[in-house]
Amino acid sequence: MSITPHTATIGDTLPPLTFGPISRTALALYAGASGDHNPIHIDTDFARKAGMDDVFAHGMLSMAQLGRLVTDWAGQENVTSLSTRFSAITPVGATLTCTGEVTETLTHDGAPHLRLRLSVTLADGTQTLKGDALVRIPQGD
Amino acid sequence: MGLFNRSAAGQTTPPMSVTLERGAMTFFAETIGETNPIHFDIAAARAAGHPDIMATATYAVVVGTMAGKALLRRGDPDQLALIGADTRYLLHGTESYAYHGAMFAGDTVTVETEVAGFADAKGGKLEIATLIQRITHPDRGLLVEARRDLIHRLDQGAA
Repeated sequence: MSITPHTATIGDTLPPLTFGPISRTALALYAGASGDHNPIHIDTDFARKAGMDDVFAHGMLSMAQLGRLVTDWAGQENVTSLSTRFSAITPVGATLTCTGEVTETLTHDGAPHLRLRLSVTLADGTQTLKGDALVRIPQGD
Repeated sequence: MGLFNRSAAGQTTPPMSVTLERGAMTFFAETIGETNPIHFDIAAARAAGHPDIMATATYAVVVGTMAGKALLRRGDPDQLALIGADTRYLLHGTESYAYHGAMFAGDTVTVETEVAGFADAKGGKLEIATLIQRITHPDRGLLVEARRDLIHRLDQGAA
């Protein structure tokens, strides 16, 4: 039986989510869909001139996966906050594994909440994002 | 020496209206692999009691970028121009959202971005700009407050 925000206790983990491998096409589509046209993510010539080996994925594409992880589980309307720190670059071709763990129960603005610790890692174990979310525990249903 | 325009500390971009479009939101949801149909299927969204498809968790950054492009089109600086960002050396350090209300297709919202401040890190190898972006709806008030740190790496041949 899978956990829900109602039944979750500290130490429980969310069903993990994987995304990728992230192709160059995915980066081009994300650039178009997000409006983030920074060439460092889509133009290898530009990336090399800027001292990088290659283009690399938008950090926000990875954060979007943490958003999916949390909202698929708790529902967007119950997510009070979502925060991430980008700790390493995500190379082209990477496959992301997104995980979440309940670390705290607390009251926020008068409502019961869970705090989740979130992480995105690459296949080699590199952690690319570390995050945090506050999820409201729905009442009366 | 840093690259950011540090005199921008405390400044705020002019308020800019953005209308959320269903097609663009659907394209974004598909691109990130979203599977919950309330984010791309109007029938599913309405069946769930929503007026239209709901923005995904990170769509706030897209709304902010759309507002920035609209500012540039009319000759005003967007958040990146305001802080003097150099995309060759720019990294995204942090991104945080405080959600106060959902955004739906068809909403016209107002975006304002405040330059909260600048800092140095890693012995001068990095410099950090902190931005606070507020997305408000004329009737429903503040919907999302986004906070982000943008970073220049200064040790890769930056002038």
